[in-house]
Amino acid sequence: MRAEPLACTWLDTRQDRTDKVVLTANHDHWNKERGPRLEKVVFHNDIPHAEALNLVCDAEGEVDIVTEVSPADAERVRSSEHARLHAIDAMRVVLGLVNRGVTDAPLDDARTRRAFNMAVDRDRMVREGFGGYAYPAAGVTPPYAGGFPGTEPYPHDPAEAKRLLAEAGWPEGRALRIATNADLEVPTNLMAEDLRDSLGIEVEVSVTPGDQMLAGQHALVEKVMPLPFDLLVFAWIDLTSDAPPAFMHGELYGETGPFRAGPPVEAFENLMGKFATEVDPDRLNELSVEIDKLVYEESLSLFLVYPQALYAVNKNVDFVGYATTFELAETEVNEKHWSRRNGG
Amino acid sequence: MTGQVTSEVAAEGGSRMPVGTVNVVDPHPLNWLYITWNTMEEPVRTDERGHMVGAVLEDSRWTDEKTLEVDVRRGIRFQDGEKCTAHNFKRAFDEMQRWKAPHPPGTNLNIHQETTIEIVDDYKLLIHFPQPDGLVLGKMRGMHIPSTRFWDEIGFGYKKQGSGEGHW
Repeated sequence: MRAEPLACTWLDTRQDRTDKVVLTANHDHWNKERGPRLEKVVFHNDIPHAEALNLVCDAEGEVDIVTEVSPADAERVRSSEHARLHAIDAMRVVLGLVNRGVTDAPLDDARTRRAFNMAVDRDRMVREGFGGYAYPAAGVTPPYAGGFPGTEPYPHDPAEAKRLLAEAGWPEGRALRIATNADLEVPTNLMAEDLRDSLGIEVEVSVTPGDQMLAGQHALVEKVMPLPFDLLVFAWIDLTSDAPPAFMHGELYGETGPFRAGPPVEAFENLMGKFATEVDPDRLNELSVEIDKLVYEESLSLFLVYPQALYAVNKNVDFVGYATTFELAETEVNEKHWSRRNGG
Repeated sequence: MTGQVTSEVAAEGGSRMPVGTVNVVDPHPLNWLYITWNTMEEPVRTDERGHMVGAVLEDSRWTDEKTLEVDVRRGIRFQDGEKCTAHNFKRAFDEMQRWKAPHPPGTNLNIHQETTIEIVDDYKLLIHFPQPDGLVLGKMRGMHIPSTRFWDEIGFGYKKQGSGEGHW
């Protein structure tokens, strides 16, 4: 992104994994209250996700926990004989990144971006796109995180959305170009329907094939070539819940943020500059609130949902899920679990 | 990420024995990070709700805008039996600072290159910053503290590649 001073990000070209990774308990760990409570955890990288879901739902002893369950598979897990569904409020957001750098449509105008936000029915998206396992988004920061400003999601108001878009001067016949990946195709199509119906404009959706993802990521983070989308439906995370701007807002909108699409936003940079050098926790939290309010009020993205993290877990595993990680220190198994019945 | 962590109290007298095995399938692209968080010591970690709690860093305070004083938790031993002290903390920090881009999300998470650690004693250290960094405790969520043997024998790929950077 920049050579001097250096600003860059990593892009995965491939992820090699061994077939299995076996973790054994450290009996001398200092935090005995926390754990470990399991003697052994085996990560199986040689079992495809779909097969793993079959094994946790329909059998015992081969797979106990499957992460990243799709909402489409949630009911299957819920009704299975052997597994339980765990839905965890996670530090995750799905949003439409707005390419404010296009020159033939007014995406640099907040009225256009607000129109997009008011064109979408988030309740329907939660229901039909995420099976109910998500919350409507009001900005980037989820309500269960630190620095949440208390904002409400933009109302679904097609008439006002259409008025705002016309006021901003959306060009006659200019189609809105939306890109996404296969994982987000369903909610993206729902969003596209709403935009089409509410705004009365043509909407084109393209799903980037897996073998073209790396090239697409390069284009987004390098910011050299024009980006081939107006909206990129995108999922992002945080690694803590305390001050989301450090990892979420900064990456999405910051001058050195890999996912910024369009020019830097001066007011945002000013706030982030104060945020990064503030050592008082209370003031830091106030700045977190101000930053999320700014991106909401400027509609810097089309804020969609905060999806839950879904896990399929064997019914004899007492699973403790995390908002920002997948750790198993507190997870334990009861006496009916196959590994204890078998003396494991 | 924040400038404050909640203290986590060590339960020295706990007696629960680990028992049982679970088999996991985790396709998440951050699985490699989750493995490190399941196995390595770290300055700070998060609780179930994502809020930061102290781990090796038992407590900390800003003595001025550019100096963070850190109490290193006593009673921690690595899996190979080595005691974890301020020296291990400093070694992990210095190793991380060798990298131009130590964190996959990007250099936004870097700690300023001119930042240094001064060891006060085995369980106390001072982190000196060239400019205030209110996000440093959150940035330490991406720092792992292994034993000396890890650095000397494996590193993050150092043994094979000479550097951990650029190949994983």
